[in-house]
Amino acid sequence: MSDGDADTDDGDDESVLSVRNLRSGYGETEVLRGVSFDVGEGEVVALVGRNGVGKTTTLRTITGAIAPRGGEVRHRGRSIGGLGPTETAKLGIGLVPEERRVFPGLTVEENLQAGATGGATGDALERSVEEVLSTFENLADRRDNRGADLSGGEQQMLAVGRALTAGADLLLLDEPTEGLAPLVVDRVVEAVRAINDDGVTVLLVEQNVAVALELADRVVVMDDGEVAHGAPAAELREDSAVLDRHLGVTLD
Amino acid sequence: MVVEALVDQLLNGLTIGVVYVLLAAGLSIVFGVMDVINFAHGELYALGAYFAFSVTTAAGDPNAFWVALLLAPAAVAVVGVGVERLTIRPLYGRNPLYHILLTFGLVLILKDVVEFVWGPGNKSYPVTPGVLQGQVAVAGFDFPRYSLFVIAVGSLMAAGTWYALNDTRVGLVVRAGAQDREMVRHLGIEVDRYYTLVFAFGAALAGLAGVVLAGRNGLEVAMGDSVIIPAFVIVVLGGLGSFRGAVVGGLVVGVVQTLTRSGVVAEVFAPVPVVGELAALLPALEGLVVFGLMIAVLLFRPRGLFGNPEWQSSEGEGDLLVGGGGALGSVWRRRLALGAVALLIVAPFGVGLAYDGFVVYSLLVSILVWALFAVSLDLVMGYAGLVSLGHVLFYGVGAYGTVLAADGRVTDLVAAVPAVGSPLAAGLGALGYADSLPLALLTGVAAAAAVAWVVGYLSIRVAGVYFAMITLGFAELFRQVVVKLPASWAGSTDGLYGAELSYSVAGVSLGEVGDVVLVEGVAAGPVVLAREVRLLYFVVLAGVLGGYLLARRVIEAPFGGVLTAIRESEARAQFLGYNVVAHKRRVFVLSGALAALAGGLQAVTGLVVGVGPSLLHWINSGEVIVMAVLGGMGTLYGPILGAAVFRGGQELLSTYTGQWRALLGLVFVLFVVFLPRGIVSLPGELQRRLRERGGDPPTGAPAETPAEPKLEGDD
Repeated sequence: MSDGDADTDDGDDESVLSVRNLRSGYGETEVLRGVSFDVGEGEVVALVGRNGVGKTTTLRTITGAIAPRGGEVRHRGRSIGGLGPTETAKLGIGLVPEERRVFPGLTVEENLQAGATGGATGDALERSVEEVLSTFENLADRRDNRGADLSGGEQQMLAVGRALTAGADLLLLDEPTEGLAPLVVDRVVEAVRAINDDGVTVLLVEQNVAVALELADRVVVMDDGEVAHGAPAAELREDSAVLDRHLGVTLD
Repeated sequence: MVVEALVDQLLNGLTIGVVYVLLAAGLSIVFGVMDVINFAHGELYALGAYFAFSVTTAAGDPNAFWVALLLAPAAVAVVGVGVERLTIRPLYGRNPLYHILLTFGLVLILKDVVEFVWGPGNKSYPVTPGVLQGQVAVAGFDFPRYSLFVIAVGSLMAAGTWYALNDTRVGLVVRAGAQDREMVRHLGIEVDRYYTLVFAFGAALAGLAGVVLAGRNGLEVAMGDSVIIPAFVIVVLGGLGSFRGAVVGGLVVGVVQTLTRSGVVAEVFAPVPVVGELAALLPALEGLVVFGLMIAVLLFRPRGLFGNPEWQSSEGEGDLLVGGGGALGSVWRRRLALGAVALLIVAPFGVGLAYDGFVVYSLLVSILVWALFAVSLDLVMGYAGLVSLGHVLFYGVGAYGTVLAADGRVTDLVAAVPAVGSPLAAGLGALGYADSLPLALLTGVAAAAAVAWVVGYLSIRVAGVYFAMITLGFAELFRQVVVKLPASWAGSTDGLYGAELSYSVAGVSLGEVGDVVLVEGVAAGPVVLAREVRLLYFVVLAGVLGGYLLARRVIEAPFGGVLTAIRESEARAQFLGYNVVAHKRRVFVLSGALAALAGGLQAVTGLVVGVGPSLLHWINSGEVIVMAVLGGMGTLYGPILGAAVFRGGQELLSTYTGQWRALLGLVFVLFVVFLPRGIVSLPGELQRRLRERGGDPPTGAPAETPAEPKLEGDD
């Protein structure tokens, strides 16, 4: 917050997102106790860890849904610590929250238009909505269906598409594969990869470590409100000790 | 002839219906988008009419009406912006109850402002444009031009609103915001700005409704009162937040209300044997039909006819903030309570010495009675989380039951029962029933407990705002029954006064209620040392204390713990295996009984024993909620404090100004915004503030969760 205004260079100014020593919580509960990591341009970074270690809280603090209690969040070199969700969205930080939260009573098209109404770009509405619809073909087929009538996978795509029409170039994905069938998970993974290939940077919170390791360039392992480990995904895949200690998983 | 009358009345019904549509649409949209239940909507409607009155009067030209038609709604919209920014905005994210409370305060303020600026008394526009006067013949029928004009204006606005909601960018954001406010923020849309817009738009619709209807029906200060309850009925009928529901509900209620009132239905069916006779009863049932309709719809379709399918509005259920602050220890609290009781016991002896006159005495009695009423409400609202907007029902049943027992009508009724009736009546006579104060009070309490069981059985299946509305519906239904029934039943509009009661059971009597004096007045020459002290005061005190202690006992029992669990999280209480509905019903019955005791005491403490239908006005339900929240709900003692402050403040302010309601409303609004946990949380709040000033300023408070940790009701 206030200490974030001083142009210290402990944050990497090349990064799209740079989180330094971030502290946050709810009420009297401190959830984040000094979290630091960077997300570089065009990267896919995955936050992994057990339930309750503060992954979602990290995303919520970055978007400004919760005010940080200390430390610093920088977006493209600019401190965004005190900004609310509306402002961060306008900077191009798009959130795809847990359980997708598509607007249940709006049609697919209206959901996307709602994204285009706000966000970083507001002028290229039609093109943008149409672009998204051509990227996610299954959504185009369901253009006039209401959000509530979509399947879980379709809702996930719609939530991602909505963030894109809102002009996101940094996408925060919270549990994108939760509750989806394996086949659908593959499709979501493909979609995220395609979006990333188009130049969108992705910060991903994922319970499914296999998905996280498959998608991410780098993985940040969180434990008890702190970063326990950070490594390229390829490296972590081989590091069964870390996987076992912080995540309780063994990959075979 | 009959056909003409029917067409006439249909047109009247549509005219009123269209005005209802305008009112209900605004209410419904504001609720759908912001979860705000705006009780002040009726006052905005009145403001529209009064603004138009000013414009047309100042101009003196018939065509000024057209200017007023544009200017007045715009002015009301500006008022709406002010109201939203200053008072409603700080409450977003809290339980919708707080909006009911807040806007109830606004009703008090706006009504007094209207009376202050424009004066009491009925008014009407000096002139309306010639084009709107007279009749126009269509298809062989003569239609009043003004009615057609109202229908045209209303239909245009409704169609325009529908278009705006469904086919514009703003409408899209408004609908999205109604479904998931936070998500809209995450898309970079400043949804708060849209709130102001939506509220101002709803206000403008209400203002417009006022402008056009006042051209037909004239203006009066209470005009907001007369439409707000039907408007709520419509919104609930159609489904809260549903625009289609508001349109259909508005037209249906307008037409049904007008047709039942007019007697034209009776004319139509007169030739048919049985149906004709039933139809002849309809005019007497006008109010009943509308509220009966709402209750029936809520029972069978708890989310209204349309159940807002078009938006799927989210339910913003913030927590109810209970009072208690923990700054005073329980020992100190007990000492304070005992001190207060001691003061109350000696208070009447000081009448004449320390202060003069009957006013203080009757104020004390009134505070005590309302305190018990507020405690009864706190049981259901503060502990079970059931916001009853119709608690005056039980208060009223208690009062009416007591009075009906006292003047012998209950005995008559019992005697009329075939076979067992006359021996039963004789038994009651032997008990000295018709004369007995305790038995009369007991009758009221028993009647109210039975009514509460039925109402609770029917209403507790719906939750939250719908529960508030259905209880309001039952209370209004009861008021309509009392007023519409022949006077021989329950006194109709005149009320029942003059019954006599004694402190007696089965022939053992201490004397008549008004006559039993504990201490005679003492005077030393011209100086009055003490006035007479009547037993009645102590009966009231004992009744109120007894009621409070009973409520406390129940809450301290495991039963109370379950209730609190239900309030905090109904689902979790259910998972733990508690029968949530049964617990709620039980506490509802207890609460109804206590409210009835308050009502009965109210009826016997007036200058003469008696009760009138004004006791049943919904404003009393509102006031008792105000008291409970003012004091601090979920504490039982808070509402007592609230009653004292409310009634005391009212008495004090009314000696200085005729606008006491506005001042009281202002105080109340400030409380809801800044001290929602009530007066009892004041010590704790002060302590917290002082500590904060001494220590470090807190770093960035969390944006969503309340800044202070949640406090428990600790008594």
